Amino acid sequence: MTAWLVVMLVGIGSFLFRLSMVAIADRVTLPDTVTRATAFVAPAAFAALAATGVTASIVGLDLLGALPPLAAVTVAAIAVRRTGRAYVAVVTGMPTLWLLTFAVGA
Amino acid sequence: MAAAETTLVRSLHVTEFAAGARAMLPWLAGVAPFGLVIGVSAAQASISTLVGWLTGPVIYGGSAQIATIEMLNAGAAPAIIVVTALVINLRLILYSAAMAVRWRGTPLWWRATAAYLLVDPSFVVGIDRYQRPSGGNEAHSYYVGAAALLWVAWALAIGAGATLGAQLPAALHLDMVIPLYLVGEVMRKAGDQASRRAALAAGGVAVAAFAVPLHLGMLLAIIAGLAFAITAKEKS
Repeated sequence: MTAWLVVMLVGIGSFLFRLSMVAIADRVTLPDTVTRATAFVAPAAFAALAATGVTASIVGLDLLGALPPLAAVTVAAIAVRRTGRAYVAVVTGMPTLWLLTFAVGA
Repeated sequence: MAAAETTLVRSLHVTEFAAGARAMLPWLAGVAPFGLVIGVSAAQASISTLVGWLTGPVIYGGSAQIATIEMLNAGAAPAIIVVTALVINLRLILYSAAMAVRWRGTPLWWRATAAYLLVDPSFVVGIDRYQRPSGGNEAHSYYVGAAALLWVAWALAIGAGATLGAQLPAALHLDMVIPLYLVGEVMRKAGDQASRRAALAAGGVAVAAFAVPLHLGMLLAIIAGLAFAITAKEKS
């Protein structure tokens, strides 16, 4: 019973977070600073998610073990810079990761 | 039915819906193993498997779900579990703020449904479409296509993990698919100085705050990114 209640409360709270700003959009004009800030939520969130994911993949590894994911990110960034296409990051990054992981035996 | 509601319901753009679903596909490679893991942990925990699976459709956020299942399994106090999981999900308020401008004028039921589906992948895919031209009903259809596919895949992955205990081979390193994809998105989007500052500050703080408990590092990183971007904008 307690488990059901906990899951429901977390679910309701999370839904209210999601709905909070969206629900008041018609009635409340957000301050200028907040409106300007929302334009940067995407690049900030993307970078934070990417950095957290990469850090999670190398935490606890030695330099040699961390080399494949870091090299994969570098290759991906260069490839996107040259092509201007985001999916190229995965197409070039994953094979780099697999090859280097195999090469260093990590 | 109100005029805005009728327009929205009648104007579901099938091609945009399908395009949104296609844009979500790269995410599924990274998200599905996470769902499987949550399913497996739900099956192995002392709570009922059904409750563990329900964290998917009810909470709908991987980190908060894992925290809830693990803390329930460990016998933590209910109030502590609820507060911990909600702190993990605090970033959803920022996503809601970013979507508020785009969803203004839509019926409340649509906003409630779209908000329920709002989570990291659907936000990333959706906001990308809203920033392109013709961001009205076409973009709404795109968002719903992406978010609906994610929801179905998430529910199936957790269900598969809970029933089969399945796990994809760790040697594939599928956990790197999403970070790489996001690196691509950041490189592509951070064209102006303010966006570059937002990305650099957020990425730096995310690494520095990686060990901060309750996944608060993510929230701190986004706030730092916003602060740096606004400062750059005001100076220029």
